Amino acid sequence: MRAGWFVVLSMIATCSVAAEPVQFNRDVRPILSDKCFACHGPDSANRAADLRLDVREIALKPASSDIAAIVPGQPEGSLLFQRITAESDDEVMPPPHAKLGRLTATEIDVLRRWIAAGAEYQPHWAFLPVEPVALPAVPTDFPTGIAAHNEIDHIVFAGLRDRSLSPQLIAERHTLIRRLFFDLTGLPPSPAEITAFVADNDPQAYENLVDRLLKSPHYGERMAADWLDVARYADSYGFQVDRERDMWPYRDWVIHAFNQNLPWDQFVTWQLAGDLLPQPTNEQRLATAFNRLHQQEAEGGSVEEEYRVNYVNDRVVTFGTAFLGLTLECCRCHDHKFDPITQREYYQFFAFFDDIDEAGLYSFFTSSAPTPTMWLLNEQQKKQQAEAIAKCKAAEAVPFGYAQSREAAIDDWLASRPVIEGPIPGEVLHLPFEERNAEGKFPSLVGENLAATSPGENTLTAGKIGEGLLLTGDHAVTTTVGNFHRYEPFTVSLWLQTPDMKDRAVIFHRSRAWTDAASRGYELLLIDGRLQWSLIHFWPGDAVSIQSQSPLPTREWVHVTVSSDGSGRASGLRIFINGQLAETNIIRDHLQKDITGGGGDSIAIGERFRDRGFKGGLVDEFRVWNRALTDLEIAEVYAPGSLAQATTTDLTGDQQSRWQQFYLARFDETYAKLQADLLAERKALSELADSAREIMVMEELAEPKTAYILKRGEYNLRGDPVTPGTPASLLAFPANQPRNRLGLARWLTNPQHPLLARVTVNRVWQSLFGRGLVKTAEDFGSQSERPEYPELIDWLAGRFIASGWDMKDLIKTIVMSHTYQQRSLGSATVMADDPENLWLARGPRFRLPAEMIRDNALIASGLLVDKFGGPPVRTYDMPESFKPSNAGTGEQLYRRSLYTFWRRTGPAPMLEVFDVPKRQVCTARRDITNTPLHAFVLLNGPQFIEAARVLAETLSKEHAGDPAAMLSAGSIRLIGREPDASELAILQRMYDRQLAWYREHSTDAAALVKIGEKPIDPALPVIEIAAWTNVINALMNHDECVVKR
Amino acid sequence: MPQKFSELGSTLNRREWLNRIGGGLGGIALAELLGRETATQAAGILGGTHFAPKAKRVIYLFQSGAPSQLDLYDRKPLLVEKHGQQLPDSVRGGQRLTGMSANQSSIPLAGSPFQFAQHGQSGQWLSELLPEAAKVADELCVIRSMYTESINHGPGVTFMQSGSQIPGRPSIGAWLDYGLGSDNQNLPSFVVLITKNKGGQPLMSHLWGSGFLASQHQGVRFRPSADPILYLNNPAGVSPENRRAVLDGLRELHEHQFAGTPDAEINNRIANYEMAFAMQSSVPEVTDLAQEPQHIFDLYGSDAKDPGTFAANCLLARRLAERGVKFIQLYHQDWDHHGGLPGAITNECRQTDKPAAALIADLKQRGMLDETLVIWGGEFGRTNYCQGLMTANNFGRDHHPRCFSIWMAGGGIKPGTSYGETCEYGYNIVKDPVHIHDLHATMLHLLGIDHERLTYKFQGRRYRLTDVHGHVVDGILA
Repeated sequence: MRAGWFVVLSMIATCSVAAEPVQFNRDVRPILSDKCFACHGPDSANRAADLRLDVREIALKPASSDIAAIVPGQPEGSLLFQRITAESDDEVMPPPHAKLGRLTATEIDVLRRWIAAGAEYQPHWAFLPVEPVALPAVPTDFPTGIAAHNEIDHIVFAGLRDRSLSPQLIAERHTLIRRLFFDLTGLPPSPAEITAFVADNDPQAYENLVDRLLKSPHYGERMAADWLDVARYADSYGFQVDRERDMWPYRDWVIHAFNQNLPWDQFVTWQLAGDLLPQPTNEQRLATAFNRLHQQEAEGGSVEEEYRVNYVNDRVVTFGTAFLGLTLECCRCHDHKFDPITQREYYQFFAFFDDIDEAGLYSFFTSSAPTPTMWLLNEQQKKQQAEAIAKCKAAEAVPFGYAQSREAAIDDWLASRPVIEGPIPGEVLHLPFEERNAEGKFPSLVGENLAATSPGENTLTAGKIGEGLLLTGDHAVTTTVGNFHRYEPFTVSLWLQTPDMKDRAVIFHRSRAWTDAASRGYELLLIDGRLQWSLIHFWPGDAVSIQSQSPLPTREWVHVTVSSDGSGRASGLRIFINGQLAETNIIRDHLQKDITGGGGDSIAIGERFRDRGFKGGLVDEFRVWNRALTDLEIAEVYAPGSLAQATTTDLTGDQQSRWQQFYLARFDETYAKLQADLLAERKALSELADSAREIMVMEELAEPKTAYILKRGEYNLRGDPVTPGTPASLLAFPANQPRNRLGLARWLTNPQHPLLARVTVNRVWQSLFGRGLVKTAEDFGSQSERPEYPELIDWLAGRFIASGWDMKDLIKTIVMSHTYQQRSLGSATVMADDPENLWLARGPRFRLPAEMIRDNALIASGLLVDKFGGPPVRTYDMPESFKPSNAGTGEQLYRRSLYTFWRRTGPAPMLEVFDVPKRQVCTARRDITNTPLHAFVLLNGPQFIEAARVLAETLSKEHAGDPAAMLSAGSIRLIGREPDASELAILQRMYDRQLAWYREHSTDAAALVKIGEKPIDPALPVIEIAAWTNVINALMNHDECVVKR
Repeated sequence: MPQKFSELGSTLNRREWLNRIGGGLGGIALAELLGRETATQAAGILGGTHFAPKAKRVIYLFQSGAPSQLDLYDRKPLLVEKHGQQLPDSVRGGQRLTGMSANQSSIPLAGSPFQFAQHGQSGQWLSELLPEAAKVADELCVIRSMYTESINHGPGVTFMQSGSQIPGRPSIGAWLDYGLGSDNQNLPSFVVLITKNKGGQPLMSHLWGSGFLASQHQGVRFRPSADPILYLNNPAGVSPENRRAVLDGLRELHEHQFAGTPDAEINNRIANYEMAFAMQSSVPEVTDLAQEPQHIFDLYGSDAKDPGTFAANCLLARRLAERGVKFIQLYHQDWDHHGGLPGAITNECRQTDKPAAALIADLKQRGMLDETLVIWGGEFGRTNYCQGLMTANNFGRDHHPRCFSIWMAGGGIKPGTSYGETCEYGYNIVKDPVHIHDLHATMLHLLGIDHERLTYKFQGRRYRLTDVHGHVVDGILA
């Protein structure tokens, strides 16, 4: 057996390779990369014997054994050659434990000849700049009818000639127009278009058709379907909880961008960094949603930072796959094993993508879009919003001016030495924590039935005034008040004592939960011993928050008052410690929406769901007011009686202004009226804000976050800090560009960049031919398959860049080539020897993508609702999904498949059967399978049965009583051509048998034609229509209906 | 020659291919050359096993949500003794806690309220919640030293089913279909059955997905409905008879097309439609439990008559195993007992104990147990301390990746044994740790596969089920 192999291999070695000199990239690198680099390559941490074979200078240096791995010109004197040919298992490379097998005779021969010829290296082809391609001459001995249309054909024809092959003739007209229609619009040509094209003798007819289709709005829809796989676009968050989310405006932008033929460098730049462009438009900001389309988690108990890091990783990996064709995730944990990218460089990419104000978990208890977001406002909403903002500004200015006009009057009042008596107004709760009532609750000194509840574990103990409450941190004191809106002023005060410097502790809050609700509400926390007071819509990106500069003293009673003035700005939040305004830092100042909702509608003290409670903390005299208390009132709360004493002396400076503030707040009715007006305007603005739809986008933080190398890729094992940067082995980062995503986009779209254009043209080729010129569309690194026609990629890439990144021009160039237009069936040898069509000795032939199969049935039957964009729709198969939901109704059932609701944990089952990815991650290439499960969908799925029946109805109306005409028309609609005589006979027999059967089974006929939402035309004969339905359905299952040939 | 379910097949057979292209390129290169449209061969990519297999198939009774090992398999008298006392820091040793209990200010130890006893000649320790498992104790190999890295369900279950915490790798069954192919031409080789109407942590279809392998390797979920596979049955108004007539016509059309366009893909299409027609009979046949005699229903419990229950799925698993399905993956959810554990775990055991034990007994009485590997277990363990508030007769347990218990039985497994030990607190492993990768390596080993040699090259790297880890656990092999 073994001897037999050897003979075959030697034969191959002699015939196919020996004739030509060895080329490093073509012949040697694949062997070294696959069999050697894992231990003797770029990864420094796992390098064995300190030997590296990917760098010539090092490979040529003698190692400790005195023999260099490679001695140019002397294979037998090279350690590498000795080891790969060694007999014993102890000596041989790769070693048996690597389980890579021994090198084959061919591989050994290649390495021998390469070393003998001098062991010259070449950089990996994909990392070299795109250079102009010298076009080979077109062979002259091809059969008539084969002529090179453009440079693509020059390159392919020369390759075929080297293999002694010739291309196929141009495909038949009806095949060609069908191929072109699907490729450019995702839809089949109409019967009229087929007839016209087949009859059109104008030599320009084909080109005219190409131009027309590239202008069709369906072009954008077709192109978007591919890009949405790359962008991992979905209508749900993915991971465990997988809730729905609104991202479809991004999808519509993609369609629009393709239809507008937005130059590809801009298409890429907008998505990577639209927010960083000067004065970005809404479209440019919307495009950055690309970076937020990754999966997100809300599973209870998940570690927030772990998932935040995951999200940034996903952005990096997607960037690598989509634009560089590099598998960057390898470097998350270690230096790349095959490509010259280090772990440090991975985290330099990471540093570009982590500077947004995001949370690692989305909110389980609310439906808020995770920050940062942009609002999606229509023109009317924009106008309303602008007006409301203007009104608010005006309403804020009025009381200020009024206050100044009242200074003299207030001075007079003060001069009268007024006596201040009575309670501070607006108090809605006062818990003195003196005793539990009969029901075990803590009564309030104000209000009716406001007693707070608390489990017995929180115990009464000596307090600041009388008794106080000792908190466990695991049990909350729950009040019944405090559901304030962002525009409502309010104040909370309490005495508290913390036993230690808490890293984090919840003193009180109005919210359902921490990360599980994105902290919606308001909260007073201890963070590193400091008080942090926050109003929050979605933490951290939609919130306002301040923190005291000094830590709170431990083990002593401190009086704390916090207030909000209803402005929703950081300047409107205040913290008082022992009656004095505390110095604070602004932590966040970006509250956009309201702070109510999400549950937990009243204040709770000392504990929060899955947060750290105020363990061992003491609280006393917990009080709430529905207004922002003035400084003097807060001082009074801290030290009762101070207000009454204060006016007994003459006032100066600062004191005087506090008294003015106090007077206006307490005694001036006009001022009170102005405040009420202001509140009304703020309320109106807040309600407008809450009604605005949001979409996740990128928005750079003013202060970038520090990124770190994460050891072994673990989120919590931080190594050295890194700054944004690009790998040394690729193009240098432009000196004049900022080190942010915009600079990154500029680097990427620089015409000198070796990868973006190559990767892009390859994906387009894949989309038209079913297979990329580089099969691994996601990997152009040294482990990728070497393309059959590297010069074709380079020529296309060069043209693409030179055209100004013109996508329509690229597609036109490809489809104008003879290579594209040739027949898809090659000779028996070509079909057998080149099943994947690497050589391009025939045209493309592959099963249509899922969307096109369904859309074809819809348009052929006339059911397609040709409407652009909008929210996703639910198809018939939704109830059959792994995550079932109800099917939609009406036009939802008949929209193009692109608009089908996409749930990551359960995509539409019909589409899934036909190989759509789940879009959990960036996918640059779909599988194309053919399995029996496809038959079930096409034969039995209600979408296809209904479409068959509706088409049967139409045909029956158009050609009543003429079965041959019906079959002919049906075939044109479904397979794009007339049936020949044999096919007509087969179909006619099929119809006759169906008709005979349904004549005997009329109830079955009635049942069949009822399938689908669209009712049958009552004027039509049910039995005939049923019989026709099955015949038409058979055509939908025909090879030529589902395979692009 | 019968064609197998997932064969997409080229008309050229494997040998012809090898002759054409030279076998030195090896199996992987062959698949690449054939392309995904035509890659799979009936025998799988390996063309056979690496060595003689002990097991021909696997039935994996996955218990999603993470059952408490401390209340079922891993007896810890010390916890009962120290019930209510704080978990010593020395035992915890800085282990990261989930976001659920990380912020709890007290972590009291929780002893199991359930009694443990030894069963069978092997003296296997099992809790009183498992009276039926006790009857087959001598068939079981209980591993008490499993561990993982995940602390949450999504990544945990994904890890257990695909060897990686992040979705996107092929699942175990997909690897097997890719490597070994199918033994039955009329049924998928990888079938998934899920207990119906269960709450708890959701399952995701990537758990039985094919990852980067071609999608025909993914598990086919049989649903407890008249249509076990999407649109399996003819629509209303179409009988098998007139469907056959349509398919006959369709075949004629395709044969006619092939005469003018001799493309092997057209023959594949013809074969697929014949296969689909065969499956319309074979799938309803295997899923029709009504053919089982009453004493079998008695064995599995009365639930077995209700399709979609765990009992019915166990019985269906046996029927699939009889027909040569290679990997039968059951899922039973709702073991995530953060609170109210005593009542909830009793309820889950009531649904699962009898059917699982019945499956062992049934396979045994049919002489199939020694060639069928049965596995029972979840994605991680549960803590020895209480999550949330502990009361006199109620408590909960949080997620615990450091140790948990599973059992294996049948095909090549040493029966009536225990493997591995945890410390007296039931918090850390003290003997013979078994990682998920080790479990996978062992499963593949029992099926005759060297886990380091079942690989697929994707994105420039050879991937395996066991990533770059995994050791066969020799100590549990018969």
